Amino acid sequence: MPILHVQATGQGQRLNGTLVQIEPFIALQQRGPCVQVSITLEPTVAQALVQRGERLPSPVTGLALIDTGASVTCIDAQAARQLGLAAVNVVQMASASQASTEQNVYAIQIEIVGFPIRIQSLGAVEAELSAQGLVLLIGRDALQMCTLFYNGPAGEFVLCV
Amino acid sequence: MLDVERAYFDRNQSDFEVHHSGRFVVIKGEEFVGVFNTIQEALGEGTRRFGLTPFLIRQVGLPSKPISIPALSLGILHADPTRTSNRPRPTT
Repeated sequence: MPILHVQATGQGQRLNGTLVQIEPFIALQQRGPCVQVSITLEPTVAQALVQRGERLPSPVTGLALIDTGASVTCIDAQAARQLGLAAVNVVQMASASQASTEQNVYAIQIEIVGFPIRIQSLGAVEAELSAQGLVLLIGRDALQMCTLFYNGPAGEFVLCV
Repeated sequence: MLDVERAYFDRNQSDFEVHHSGRFVVIKGEEFVGVFNTIQEALGEGTRRFGLTPFLIRQVGLPSKPISIPALSLGILHADPTRTSNRPRPTT
């Protein structure tokens, strides 16, 4: 079983401008459980495209936040465009600025960079995440295949699939 | 997005529920492409037919689940309670 063990790290700035290392428990509290991911087409979609003789788009890489509060995974709208994803459904989603908006739904595969961990999300909802420096929110639809340990005092988390 | 397909699904929903309950239907425009046992089969057939262009996949008889993403709906993704906002402080 592939196991990803991460201890959060980060730097802060003193008032005089010098950089200092932040304690892992603070870094984890501030950034949340983030992992570097590579987003690709869902394998069945990729296989069907190959059968059509079409080229597969290059994966999109970036930072993903594991969000146990999210019922579904969200993919950044710009990342979805970059991958050329085709919408397979539309859902209503409430946002901070508007009561409710229609958002496209895509099927994707998430790979944790450097680890043999691959998770499929067949209902990833489009959202504007790039302003937060994220390409993905990993929600409970993907986490239902995973075990997640969050160790706040140690500033660590463990993800197994 | 997928307005035509969703309207087609809504018009035919009761018929789908009688004949294809629990299965996945694929719709492109006004065309009913087919019905599949798994979403992967539906994705595969849809992509084989239409490539990377939008098409609708719906599971028949499944009530639409509410999407809950508080970090986005409340605008609190990476909120920092230690930083003050520009909002004026209440006076006592």
